[in-house]
Amino acid sequence: MGISDQDKDIIELLKTDGNRGFRLLVERYSRMLYWHIRRLVILHDDADDALQNTFMNAWKNIGEFRNESALYTWLYSIATNEALTLINRRKRNAVVSIDDIGSLLANSAEGSTWFDGDEAQVKLQNAILKLPDKQRVVFNLRYYDEMPYMEMSKVLKTSEGALKASYHHAVKKIEQMLGSD
Amino acid sequence: MKDLKKITDKNPFKVPENYFEEVSSKIISASAGSEPQKKPERSYRSLRPFLAIAASFLILTFLSYAALRIFLPADKIPEIPEISLQEFSDNYLNDIDILTLEEGITPIASYDRIPDVTGSDIIDYLILENIDLNDIYEIL
Repeated sequence: MGISDQDKDIIELLKTDGNRGFRLLVERYSRMLYWHIRRLVILHDDADDALQNTFMNAWKNIGEFRNESALYTWLYSIATNEALTLINRRKRNAVVSIDDIGSLLANSAEGSTWFDGDEAQVKLQNAILKLPDKQRVVFNLRYYDEMPYMEMSKVLKTSEGALKASYHHAVKKIEQMLGSD
Repeated sequence: MKDLKKITDKNPFKVPENYFEEVSSKIISASAGSEPQKKPERSYRSLRPFLAIAASFLILTFLSYAALRIFLPADKIPEIPEISLQEFSDNYLNDIDILTLEEGITPIASYDRIPDVTGSDIIDYLILENIDLNDIYEIL
């Protein structure tokens, strides 16, 4: 995915009319980034916080954005960092196990209000939650967002070869975990 | 072993009604009250305190080293205890992340000067050969 015409318009607009450019950016990317964050943090309230932080960071640092990288990969990098920061903070403060979806939902204020998965989906989410954080990001970006490795390497600043190996290894681990249930 | 492709594509996560419209308005209103940061211009003047600290540190390190060499006989300098590779891997490398592994294997690949073969290619090959990642790390 190169720089799309829509992204070029947004970048141009950000230079001339920052507020209007930012509005377009939020409208274009809020859903995409929300779902990326949500799959990592699981809870809606956490995803909501991380999404707002992502856009506020993007807004504050819009001057740092370099035209040679795509808006899409830049925003995904910020969103991934926000999600991982939140996960790390949650791990530090955790008093119960948070590597299975049942206990995560049960110990949250929102409960299972915003989760409606069947048995297979619960098993899949539990298996994904057991991966190391960075590998979980790689798996989600590939499996759900179908992001090309080239783009992913810009988001995660890691070589394509390592990402491919990481994804294949994640798939194997998940298949084994699903098979052992 | 189950095939991942057979699991339904239906999204198990839900959001409140009109969530995306509301969150977008919230973000846009919050941004309207603040300005993007301008990239600060770095000048020699702003870097001076850091350069002074770095220079002081270098001088102190040099003086400490010189004092040690002059006043301590060479055979009294304590040796750093050696730790075996096995001990190191047993103690510290129980949970191997493939991305860390790739970063570790790259210098070895370049040291051996294997043409057109990168660290990640080697890891791909080793994974295809079903070699355990912990075993690979122990060899590094």
